[in-house]
Amino acid sequence: MLAKDHAMRSDTRRRWGLALPAVIIITLFSILPLVVVIAYSFLTPGDFGGVKWMLSFDGWFSVLFERDIFDDTVSLSSAHMTILGRSVALSLATTLITLILGVPTAWFIATRPAGQRAFWLFLITIPFWTNLLVRTIAVQEMIRADGVFNRILLGLGVIDAPIQIMFTNFAVLMGMAYVFLPLMVLPVYSAIEKFDFRLAEAGYDLYASRFYCLRKVILPMVRPGIIAGSILVFVPALGAYVTPRIMGGGKSMMLGNLIEMQFGQGRNWPLGAALALTLTALVLVALIWYTRLTAGGPRRG
Amino acid sequence: MVDRAFDIRRLPGAATLAITCFVILYVPMIILVANSFNTGRVIGEWEGLSLRWYAAALQNEAFLNAAATSLILATMAAAVATVTATMAALATTRSRGFKGEGAIHLILNQPIMVPEIVLAIALLIILAQVKQITGYTGLGYLIIAHSAFCIPFAYMPIRARLEGMDLTLETAAADLYASRFYAFRKVTLPILAPGILAGFMLAFVISLDDVVISDFLKSPGQDTLPTYLLGELKRNLTSEIYAISSLLLLISVLIVAGSWLVTRKKI
Amino acid sequence: MLDIRDLTKSFGKGDSAVTALHEVNFSIAEGEFFTLLGPSGCGKTTLLRLIAGFEPPSGGALVLDGQDIAQMPPNKRPVNTVFQNYALFPHMTVAENVSFALGAQGRPKSEIAETVGRMLNLVQLGHLAHRKSGELSGGQQQRVALARALAPKPRILLLDEPLSALDMKLRKEMQVELKRLQQETGLTFIFVTHDQEEALTMSDRIAVMNGGRIQQIASPRDLYDQPANRFVAGFIGETNFLSARCEGGQLFLPQADAPLPLPHRDGPVTLMIRPEHVVMGATQQESLALTAKVERLTYFGTDTHVHLRLADGATLVARVQNALRGGASCRDGETIPVSLPADALRLLPQEVA
Repeated sequence: MLAKDHAMRSDTRRRWGLALPAVIIITLFSILPLVVVIAYSFLTPGDFGGVKWMLSFDGWFSVLFERDIFDDTVSLSSAHMTILGRSVALSLATTLITLILGVPTAWFIATRPAGQRAFWLFLITIPFWTNLLVRTIAVQEMIRADGVFNRILLGLGVIDAPIQIMFTNFAVLMGMAYVFLPLMVLPVYSAIEKFDFRLAEAGYDLYASRFYCLRKVILPMVRPGIIAGSILVFVPALGAYVTPRIMGGGKSMMLGNLIEMQFGQGRNWPLGAALALTLTALVLVALIWYTRLTAGGPRRG
Repeated sequence: MVDRAFDIRRLPGAATLAITCFVILYVPMIILVANSFNTGRVIGEWEGLSLRWYAAALQNEAFLNAAATSLILATMAAAVATVTATMAALATTRSRGFKGEGAIHLILNQPIMVPEIVLAIALLIILAQVKQITGYTGLGYLIIAHSAFCIPFAYMPIRARLEGMDLTLETAAADLYASRFYAFRKVTLPILAPGILAGFMLAFVISLDDVVISDFLKSPGQDTLPTYLLGELKRNLTSEIYAISSLLLLISVLIVAGSWLVTRKKI
Repeated sequence: MLDIRDLTKSFGKGDSAVTALHEVNFSIAEGEFFTLLGPSGCGKTTLLRLIAGFEPPSGGALVLDGQDIAQMPPNKRPVNTVFQNYALFPHMTVAENVSFALGAQGRPKSEIAETVGRMLNLVQLGHLAHRKSGELSGGQQQRVALARALAPKPRILLLDEPLSALDMKLRKEMQVELKRLQQETGLTFIFVTHDQEEALTMSDRIAVMNGGRIQQIASPRDLYDQPANRFVAGFIGETNFLSARCEGGQLFLPQADAPLPLPHRDGPVTLMIRPEHVVMGATQQESLALTAKVERLTYFGTDTHVHLRLADGATLVARVQNALRGGASCRDGETIPVSLPADALRLLPQEVA
């Protein structure tokens, strides 16, 4: 028994030893910085960026509230509330659009003959692997003032002057939906591909209509893939920085841009830190909700 | 009218939406590439087909430097991430449970649970001071920072491959007089190779794709392709941007096609 | 050559500990085809893994050629295994698989090439040397696994249910093949199986195991004819069990017309008789005479099973060869005399159920 305990302990030591380099890199370059952010969120902003080492809750306070300069009355910070609301709303809308386009696409690919499937998947993986910035530039080219849309519409005589789409919520939404679309297709595809179509046959055999079969048999089996896809789109959309920066400019900011601003022109590092932690918390809530949801469903492989 | 045969796999409207989806995905990229061949300086004014902007890019010192930085950074970061992730995967798989297994899992997946922009400002805060204290401003920071957020991606396929591996193969190797090291080199590693390759490619692409963290952490003269592109974008839109974008797109296509061929051959 | 002394293995610790092997003792002679037979979970595979060195024993000794190897790691033991799923290295060719052990031992290239060629000829796979192991059929993989384990010339070859994945026809062929290989090489085989027919046809000696204990070690014939206890009798072949008593040198079977003189210690016993020894009708031999009702006849091609019910409700099965005297001549529902010849009766200690 003693020898066995010893063997187990040495196995644990060996395993920790193997994992150590990865653990150290992540601890130093991802976890520790986050801890510093937590600390900074409770400090006083420095005069030219940075912080003064004095405890202050102003950073957290300013996430949601603002104090009137003259009479000190406290009210909800409308600017921050707008950006927070916009971030959540645009992320949800992005998820919805990618669901509407992505799920049928995944279904389409999964139901192709085996030989063709690889080709269609290939078409999805190329944008998936293409640089996010490059793809954002591609959408921008479509909708900017002298971009493709406006040229076509002008050429057809539908409009007299270019429509201003850039730097609106709509532009950010289009950009994000375009950029995150492949993230929805792939997990949904792998769920549908695993689906045993004999189950659908059994459903139809038992008098199910198309809709009934879809609702009662297919969707519950494919659900984990749809949830995974939604999370995979929603989480990066909520934290998006590059796409809203290009598509929204200074006008349609999202949380990520607001955070960056505090470390740039804003020069309010504690507020930036508190905002960053708020964003992280929102993402964690979504991830926890996701694990709850999938843990409740049927367990597979 | 003839009744269409009842096809179980048909979902009314799916094909239409799917084709729409592919059109939406590809039209902007095709237009982007087409623009890069435009002779004119101003985007949208088509003045004829040429490789002028590719030539311009290839003579542009700043672009070439950025390309070199990107390549070095992605290769080094992917290498570090792959090696450490392989070790970590060996540590965390095929165990009957050990002390701290949960903690290691949580740590290994932590970088993907934090939004990129948050990680970027967090690293900015800490590294700004480290740079001041040590005086070192080299590419090392970016390499390790990239490794950190690439590890979870490299870890995934390697771990999956290890978990799918038949445990008796290593037992068999031990039975046939192989030392632990010999068994690892001759049995475990070759079987793991496709997973390691996939992990490396994933890490490479993830590193190459990064804009935010590189943009926040770079010291002067350390532009990567994406941060260079972002900087150019701030100034004005020229056809050269489209040429550079097209080159990045080409890299993605090559990587996807390459990994496609590699996985094909393994089956 | 191999002495197993008080070998014990338990898994887990404290209250949840499960003992898989209870102080197992036996010896195996050079060149023997020794089989470990038992139902799943009886400890036979655990015993094999202890001999191979994949698990450390909890107690006892494994003495090979006078040396205790119980604590020796598997890659130092001169013992090789043919795994149940073959465990062929999927990224290597047939030849690379077979040469693996020799490479690990650092033998010279020329010797390796020569041995691999010889081994592949031995299992008749020379023509497939450069195939990947995934491209082979089940039977071919089996042969590669054999060649791979034989190549380093082990003192003992361990075979862990190697035929269980093959279909019936192939399994019969491989049984013959394995026996031929064993006789040709003169190697000691320890063979694990749950298939009694496989064990009976191939083995020199069989150890029947149950519940982590060895029930009996004997030759196939002795095991069948002289089972040591009810488990062995029931596990090997088909058997009738009847409760009886011995008293004053006589065997009393409640259903029988008269007692039978039989020297045995007084007390309750379990009487055992194989179905093929049950005689339908009266006989001149010394026997127990009974009366039974025919309940059902089951036709099996070469023979017919007659299911009989005795007066007190006990059942008895008789097997009648169809080639003999036109097979079973009785009919369902008929009441007939039945004889249990004295020389076919075995008395087993009565076990508390």
